[in-house]
Amino acid sequence: MASVAMKKGRRAQDPTAEFFEDLATRGPEPLLQSASGTMRFDLKDGARVEHWYVTTDKGQSRVSHKEAKADAIIRTDKALFDKIATGKANVTAATLRGTLVLEGDIALVMAFQRLFPSPPRPRRRARPDDRKGSAR
Amino acid sequence: MSGDLVQILEGNTFVVSDSAGDVEASPTDPTGLFSFDTRFLSEWILTINGERLNALSTDDLQYYETRFFLVPGTGTVYVDAKLSVIRQRAVGDGFREQLTIMNHDDKPVDLEVRIDAGSDFADLFEVKDALKKKGSYERRVERDRLVLGYKRETFERETVITSTSHAKIDEQGLTFKVRVEPHGQWATELAVTAVLGSLNVLTQRGDKRARPNMARGLTKWVHKAPTLETDVDSLKATYRRSLVDLAALRFETRTMPGHSLPAAGLPWFMTIFGRDSIFTSLQSLPFTPELAATTLRALGERQGTRIDDFRDEDPGRILHEARFGEMTAFEERPHSPYYGNADATAMYVVLLDEYERWTGDHRLVRDLEYQARAALNWIDEFADLQGNGYVSYKRRNEKTGLENQCWKDSWDSISYRDGALPGFPRATCELQGYAYDSKMRGARLARLVWHDQAFAERLEKEAGDLKRRFNHDFWVEDGEYFAVALDADGRQVDSLTSNIGHLLWSGIVDKSKAKTIARHLMSDRLFSGWGIRTLAVGEGRYNPIGYHVGSVWPFDNSFIAWGLRRYGFKEEAARVAEGILDAAQFFDGRLPEAFGGYPREMTKYPVQYPTACSPQAWSTGAPLLFLRTMLGLEPVGDYLVVDPALPASIGQLELLDIPGRWGRIDAFGRSRVGTSGR
Repeated sequence: MASVAMKKGRRAQDPTAEFFEDLATRGPEPLLQSASGTMRFDLKDGARVEHWYVTTDKGQSRVSHKEAKADAIIRTDKALFDKIATGKANVTAATLRGTLVLEGDIALVMAFQRLFPSPPRPRRRARPDDRKGSAR
Repeated sequence: MSGDLVQILEGNTFVVSDSAGDVEASPTDPTGLFSFDTRFLSEWILTINGERLNALSTDDLQYYETRFFLVPGTGTVYVDAKLSVIRQRAVGDGFREQLTIMNHDDKPVDLEVRIDAGSDFADLFEVKDALKKKGSYERRVERDRLVLGYKRETFERETVITSTSHAKIDEQGLTFKVRVEPHGQWATELAVTAVLGSLNVLTQRGDKRARPNMARGLTKWVHKAPTLETDVDSLKATYRRSLVDLAALRFETRTMPGHSLPAAGLPWFMTIFGRDSIFTSLQSLPFTPELAATTLRALGERQGTRIDDFRDEDPGRILHEARFGEMTAFEERPHSPYYGNADATAMYVVLLDEYERWTGDHRLVRDLEYQARAALNWIDEFADLQGNGYVSYKRRNEKTGLENQCWKDSWDSISYRDGALPGFPRATCELQGYAYDSKMRGARLARLVWHDQAFAERLEKEAGDLKRRFNHDFWVEDGEYFAVALDADGRQVDSLTSNIGHLLWSGIVDKSKAKTIARHLMSDRLFSGWGIRTLAVGEGRYNPIGYHVGSVWPFDNSFIAWGLRRYGFKEEAARVAEGILDAAQFFDGRLPEAFGGYPREMTKYPVQYPTACSPQAWSTGAPLLFLRTMLGLEPVGDYLVVDPALPASIGQLELLDIPGRWGRIDAFGRSRVGTSGR
């Protein structure tokens, strides 16, 4: 249990780490069902560059810092990626702006980017979950 | 100046120039070289000894290539022209222009040939709305090339101009000092390259696609499609026009190189549109089924996963429009992509099922099971904004989102009889039809391919219930038709519109009501003789040249005719097909987006609605769907049922080598309605 508490403590300041750790521990992801390959994220944080490797196969993802051959490379600032990991910035728009640079297997990155969370909403409209099956 | 605009394109790169080949764009003028929604040239002017040139003729060689025949001087008399000039231009990752000058005189001539070049790097949206640029410009000469640049923060775009012959290059353009011998000629090739900076990864560039391949590609495309034999020559011409235009409208995405889907329109809508790509794929399924497969994959890859108010995105929602320009990049527009439509998601499932029925491609249906389920889920979970069991729409992006999220997307398209406009949300009737159809078709796929009996039963139950409620709640008692919408209070928006035809197509109409609906569609109020009007004569907002309030849309009519056939109204379907196909003759086989709703006997020819975009994909697809409807083509199991019902004006109609799960098959139709059926 101690390790979980520690992780949580770290997550509060590091949305990027939180996102990747979450990804590593979640079950098979249907959105990645047809995507496979390794992505390398180069996240520039001041003078240093943080590397994350995500290898995905049939919906299951492994996350690591260990160097591996990448099919796609995503380069951006750590600060921007923190925003993307919390839904405050959009990958596609960032790519068009050139603040995020892609290389390699674009289909893989496109499948992967769907896992980033929704933007935070100031006033959440009640989701009509209770209406499920109202067409009955 | 030369009036007519000439356009050529390849994918989403295109050039619009005047008939002399020059570009001299004002900020709001839609001419220039465009790529990925950015203008890379807004100035491209050829002069010889300081003089502009005059167009003798223009040859559209192919959709990606054109040739301009020019002479110096801008007068109207060319008698003394001793020089002629040919500019042959082909689009690729920018364009290449072969410039040839011929001297017809007995004496040599010394010429100063000049190309002035410039770019405002306008976003397509800026060209429409005349907005100011926020970044900075640069012009620089690098050895043998001129570079025009634009930069806003990390957003960088460049235009690189080179020439095969030696030129004196300055920051404003290129100058050639040329001597042309008697009866001799001089030539150079100019290359203009659009450089997308960090976005180059999204292009196919580096493939070095050569022109001959493009030409061969087009020939192959036309040959692969079924062959049409008919006694009506204009119909043959229309069919060929449709196939060639469809080829031009093909669009490749970086994630699926070698496969293309139909973009919405040329040149301004050469991008993925959920609605347009799906409708066009449906129309062209019996002819070019690969378009549907690519559309389904491409839209599936981009299906919504988040709840994002700016983009009107929900999980499972199929996108509306994707763009790549500066305003999208800086989130001044929501097209990265934008999801604000209320129909494409249900239509996605409809297309998947129709595709399976034609091709038997179970693999794709299995691959897209998750996407199809997410789409079906969207209908119940996210589209029922009022909690009344109907699909409705209201944009969440109130600044730059779309107000009307149905195909009739103009501001006044949905109105009460008296012309008043309802508030939001709006539940337009055709959306309920699409939802019904998607549930029925989803159920079929669930049984056949996903092997989920319980899901199939649930969907059918929901569809049955929706149909029952719909036939009650939308039925306008005193008019005996379906209301175009329910308003925010659940009241009927009671005008008579073409939307009721889509309801037949979806199958949501009770059998007992179908005859009345068909009668309305063919009545003088809706049927002009050329086609069915978007809004009936006599309604408050009716205007024969109003965009969605009286004009006739070929695409709309093609689906209505399909709907009429679905309910057994063969003769009516044939009459609609005949009217629109007759109209096509007046446009050289290229149907416009819409034309006027004037009665046929009044104008004798269809009055074109002024629009900048031609060909439009779903107008291009309309003749294809009419052919299917007239021949009564319907896949049943592994067979193709042919049940022709031709209009009086078509004596013979044969479609040979129709591709599908049966391999290739021929369909024959002969003579008048009723006499040729089986």
